[in-house]
Amino acid sequence: MTQEYIIEIANFIARYLSYMLGAGVHTSRVVRNSKRIGTALGVDVSIHTSQKTATLTVSDKDTRIFSTKVVDIPAFPISFEWNADLSALSWAAHDEKMSLEAIEHKFDELVSKPKMNPVFVLFMASLANASFCRLFGGDIWAMLITFTATMVGFFTRQHLTRRKVNHYIVFIVSAFVASICASTALALGIETAEIALATSVLYLVPGVPLINGLIDITDGHIQIGISRFVNAFMLIICIAIGMSITLMLVKDSLL
Amino acid sequence: MKEIFWNSIADYNAATWPWQIVMMSIASVLTFILWFRPSEWAKTATKIYMVAVSLWIAFVYYMGFGSARDYSNVMTIFWCMIALSWIYDLATRFSTFQRSGKSGALGLVMLVLPLAYPFISVSRGLEFPQITTPMLPSAVALYMLGMLMTFNKKINFFAFLLVLHWSVIAISKISLFKIPEDALLAAACIPSMVIFVMHVLKEYDRPHKPSYATVRMLVMAVALLLAGCMIAA
Repeated sequence: MTQEYIIEIANFIARYLSYMLGAGVHTSRVVRNSKRIGTALGVDVSIHTSQKTATLTVSDKDTRIFSTKVVDIPAFPISFEWNADLSALSWAAHDEKMSLEAIEHKFDELVSKPKMNPVFVLFMASLANASFCRLFGGDIWAMLITFTATMVGFFTRQHLTRRKVNHYIVFIVSAFVASICASTALALGIETAEIALATSVLYLVPGVPLINGLIDITDGHIQIGISRFVNAFMLIICIAIGMSITLMLVKDSLL
Repeated sequence: MKEIFWNSIADYNAATWPWQIVMMSIASVLTFILWFRPSEWAKTATKIYMVAVSLWIAFVYYMGFGSARDYSNVMTIFWCMIALSWIYDLATRFSTFQRSGKSGALGLVMLVLPLAYPFISVSRGLEFPQITTPMLPSAVALYMLGMLMTFNKKINFFAFLLVLHWSVIAISKISLFKIPEDALLAAACIPSMVIFVMHVLKEYDRPHKPSYATVRMLVMAVALLLAGCMIAA
């Protein structure tokens, strides 16, 4: 095995794990999959991860040639599809003894699949929030108001994210916009108006980082687990700030 | 609550009817200019008018005459947000107020519909000043929807979503405040939602998933759901 080949493998695995971590996959799965690809290609892979970067060393035991890379983790949207597809790729590489070129080709194919339609996501998130409203006891009017309030808030989020506004500010503004729209239910005298208000911001709750943080900590990846937890809590605080502004304006109190 | 609602409308109409005529006249002139002799200044003036009319509803109608109603400050803030969406549009020059050649006829119908508000009120036995007028929130929202539909080459989608939210409020008001005039806005918002969303979908230059047909079906299903709620109301 030549030094160039080891570098090529390191470059690919660095890209592979950065995409997985960026798409919100929990760390132990990323490490396991990367090591599996390494095994399929006949090399050992050691990985250290943090919130923003990952370091990996790819080595060949026989020739003692190794390559170390530090890679930035890009901020992709959460993608369960990449999670499933890229995990399956690691198994395919292992089971079918795929060459590096074949794995790279398949990887490029998987990550260049069409993205979700933003309009579809907008409607589905709004329907999901309206359903939450119903689950918490909201009536039909509260559900309708939650639906359109979420639409306005989610669109604000999409627009500001496209404009590359700081994501903490995006969360504060989106939470404020959605909750102020939902608070119009109060003016109509709807009995379950407060449920509409409370459920209008649920689309912002960072569920995946919270779950990943917990899984990472329990799997022993304490450092990145805590980072993910802190990140998720920062976002929750931002939602709270946005909603608090609404409550102070609308109800003249926080409760 | 219903009595306070109608009394505030009566007070508002009695005190502001000359101003309402002035505002409606400005809207008519701007609409005619945009239709027959579109120019940059007319587009800017229309956006400024949208800001002004939103602030009018926020401060004159809700903060002034509607202050006796519960949570009228919420409505003030909401209409300030609509004004803000037009200010943002004005600053970024996003919407073009140009005709696309599609749905123009539907837009014209929507522009005329606010004028039907007082006639519907009178036809169901109400008398001035306790009648709905084209300068009430739902009629103004309908006018905005009509403008977006008529000049729909590139629209202010944020303003549209806020008007859509207002339409849902209008649907609930039909039932809660017995104000059937709001059925006009509710009926106009449903085809508008379908048309505008289809318009946005066609603008994407990259392929997305699910397919265009699936998203269209979803939008249609939501439109039918809204229509069902309106009929139930």
